[in-house]
Amino acid sequence: MSQFDVHRRENPRIVFFFWIVLLAGVTLVVGLGWRQLIANQKYEAIEKRQTERRILKPGPRGDIYDRKGNLLVGNRPHYSAVVYLDDLRREFRSEYSTIIRAERERLKELYDATPETGRTEASLIPNYNELQWVARQNVIQGYVDTINRITGRADTVSTKEIIRHFNEQLLLPLVLVEDLKPDEYARLIEQVPVQSPIEIHTGTARYYPYDGAAAHALGYVQNVYPDPEEIPDDGIKTYTFKTQEGKSGLESFFDDWLSGQIGTEIWRVDPLGFQDSLLEQKTPVQGQDLVTSIDIDLQLAAENALGDRTGAAVVLDVRTGEVLAIVSQPSYDLNDLSPFIPRKIFDSINERGAWLNRAVQLSYPPGSTFKLITAIAAARAGTTSLNTEHDCQGVYRVGNRIFRCHARNGHGIVDEAAAIEGSCNVFFYAEGLRMGIDVLSAEAKRFGLDKKTGIEIPFETGRLVVPSMEWKRGEIGAGWVPGDTVNTAIGQGFLLVTPLQMATVMASIARGETRTQPTLRALTAEAAAEVRHGGESIGLTLEQRAELWEGMERVVSPYGTGRLIQIEGLRIAGKTGTADFRAHGENVNLAWFIGTAPVEDPQIAVAVMVEGTSASDRFQGGSTAGPVAKDIFLEFIEQYPERAGF
Amino acid sequence: MAKLRLDKVKPLVALGVFLAAWWVIPTTVKSFMQVSFAEFQAPAWVATSYLDDLEGFWARRSHSKVELIEAGRDLARIKSLYQFNAQRNRTLELEVERLEAILNLPSRREFRYEVARVIRRDLSAWWQHLIIRKGRDFDIPVGAAVVFSGGVVGRVVEVDAFTSRVELITSPNFRIAARFEGDERPVVYQGAPQSGFGDPVGSVRDAPQDIMASRQAPLQLVSTRLGGSFPPGLSIGRVTWLEPGSSGIFQAGQVELDPRLLSLHEVAVLISLSPTDSVNNAP
Repeated sequence: MSQFDVHRRENPRIVFFFWIVLLAGVTLVVGLGWRQLIANQKYEAIEKRQTERRILKPGPRGDIYDRKGNLLVGNRPHYSAVVYLDDLRREFRSEYSTIIRAERERLKELYDATPETGRTEASLIPNYNELQWVARQNVIQGYVDTINRITGRADTVSTKEIIRHFNEQLLLPLVLVEDLKPDEYARLIEQVPVQSPIEIHTGTARYYPYDGAAAHALGYVQNVYPDPEEIPDDGIKTYTFKTQEGKSGLESFFDDWLSGQIGTEIWRVDPLGFQDSLLEQKTPVQGQDLVTSIDIDLQLAAENALGDRTGAAVVLDVRTGEVLAIVSQPSYDLNDLSPFIPRKIFDSINERGAWLNRAVQLSYPPGSTFKLITAIAAARAGTTSLNTEHDCQGVYRVGNRIFRCHARNGHGIVDEAAAIEGSCNVFFYAEGLRMGIDVLSAEAKRFGLDKKTGIEIPFETGRLVVPSMEWKRGEIGAGWVPGDTVNTAIGQGFLLVTPLQMATVMASIARGETRTQPTLRALTAEAAAEVRHGGESIGLTLEQRAELWEGMERVVSPYGTGRLIQIEGLRIAGKTGTADFRAHGENVNLAWFIGTAPVEDPQIAVAVMVEGTSASDRFQGGSTAGPVAKDIFLEFIEQYPERAGF
Repeated sequence: MAKLRLDKVKPLVALGVFLAAWWVIPTTVKSFMQVSFAEFQAPAWVATSYLDDLEGFWARRSHSKVELIEAGRDLARIKSLYQFNAQRNRTLELEVERLEAILNLPSRREFRYEVARVIRRDLSAWWQHLIIRKGRDFDIPVGAAVVFSGGVVGRVVEVDAFTSRVELITSPNFRIAARFEGDERPVVYQGAPQSGFGDPVGSVRDAPQDIMASRQAPLQLVSTRLGGSFPPGLSIGRVTWLEPGSSGIFQAGQVELDPRLLSLHEVAVLISLSPTDSVNNAP
């Protein structure tokens, strides 16, 4: 018999409390059992959320090579000096104590100096929160000063940055100084003691051995935080280092391919959020390498040939459609954009209009280079024959309008080959009118001029115009007139194409087909053998084809418009072109040349377009764009003598 | 009984009081005491080293005349070889100076040297130090590079009146910027904990991925001028393997150091001629 039994007998009211205590005990046991045995997973998850932190470290990006294995884009070490705030906690406390003491004394003196009537006890209490940040800032700035003393820099760290880091990135190192030069890095390595909280962090930044070569095609990257979808959704708070994301060119198009695999670290943290022990680690892995079709020697030759002039140049492998060189000027030095794009550099590139890839992102009237399409259309339509001739007197009348030939006194009687050689407008005015816009428009479309090429460069322009009656009615709201047809026949008027498209047209003609699928990926021998461009046969008889080629070859002859392009020992066929168009409120002259060589077995197709704004310049396809193409052909001979027939 | 117990804990109490007093003593006093202790010990070390030299001298005196004559002959040969090399170096130096003058280049002579005897080795798992017999009396500065015929020895970390303490390249607290021979990209060399019986080793990190090292084709790690304290091209050690580091792009590996490092008798301290190159260690 227990004591309680005695009480129970004496006072039955105790029974009530007995049951209450029993019930409470049972509730506790059941509750404990519930939480420990049944709901344990929920509490484990909560505990995990509270005590674990994940750090994501992006893997470095893959390298980009040219077709011969030259490194075009790689990774270079990117040095920075960092501190883990966890290592500074004692110093924070010590500095805080010092500051608090000094502040209390200051407030006390202020209090004593204040007349008794104006005194308040509250004025004796320091602003603890603010002083805490001041203490932290003092300590961190002390380390920055140390770095400054060693490196000769004058960097500072603001309280704002520190607060942001504390609140958002506590487990990640705070960057004190970024983008250290190799000598600064070496000095810090040698002069900062190993035990110092300052750590010299080595990350990666994109590196471009050829500076600005193929800048628009290669593209650049930007530092961004990883896609939230890549972060596991398991409730663990995750801190992420910035990763590099392709923003243009191949870097953007092949971003998934080039991006490295993210590495993970999971840390157990203390109640204040500082790291305690490493629970899990997965090393980041570098992304895959990319081999491009670009030949850096041809690329550099084309860029040097174009020089400071505004324009574009494209060189294609006739058989495979591989892009051997693709140039857009003005350009920029890709190394200036790594590891980040300084505002000044961004503005400078913006002002020069250098962000635009003129080879694929802007469309222009093709000028007389389009006459090749007109010639093919006329031959296929049967409106012209091998004996067709026109008398060029320098002008051509269509209704009340006079259309001029560039030869003021005319070319005289010309056949198709002579018309191509001399770029006679009158011949093609007449042929255009004879076949009509429907035939001409259909032929241009057969060569894919109304569609994007699908090259692996983002933001290829869709502003491509192959005019037709329906197009004019729909877009301009006006009816088609014969003058529109003659303009289109010589590559003027509403027609808009990109330099890359004209390169594909040249490559297609060189192969006797209608389409060329350009690619920036280097093809293996097997893949190259199986390339199908998706077009059809050009549809000319042997005689028609011979006349077309005769005309194109005569362009690069002593009397042709492209005579400056002649190279001894190399037979080149092509077409020059000069066009006018209006952009940004001013008249822009365009000098074009498209060509292929060697004529016996065409290997490369070249398209060059140079923009000019001065009407007084001798601005013509042959004299302005031609020499650029000539330098490209010369470099081709240098690099591929066998393919050039040497 | 109680008195007996108090007697037993007296040493512990004394130790506690001493530690408490040491804890509250200002840092300046502690530093002063440490320096005083070192200065107090130094004469004994210096005297011991002179006695060692004397012992060696008398040991050599005990050799027969024939042996001494032969040794003297060998010495004369070696001396003349060194004199010849010194003359050749001097000629080359003058030629370099002449070319520098013609091309208006700044002088590359950046260091003078002080040869010093090693009087004590303080080698443990935690620290690896040498005490050399020259200090402030020869203007040895803190941070000066210390070398020997096999390459880098270490760096001066403490200078007393007549002695200096050198942190050996094997010490885990020793770190310098380096590069692989034939490659200009900087890497980091750092000492590593020593096993005690094997040859000395260090570690290298931040090596670019395209660098390959193997036992058949080891790489030579050499110093670089970038850091400011060492002249370029001094041998640090040999790297026979590299493996990917945690960054996923740089490699890390082990550096095999010269075994003679642990039995050196004489070293040279390189003193920078440029006052701006003085090394101030950060906290």
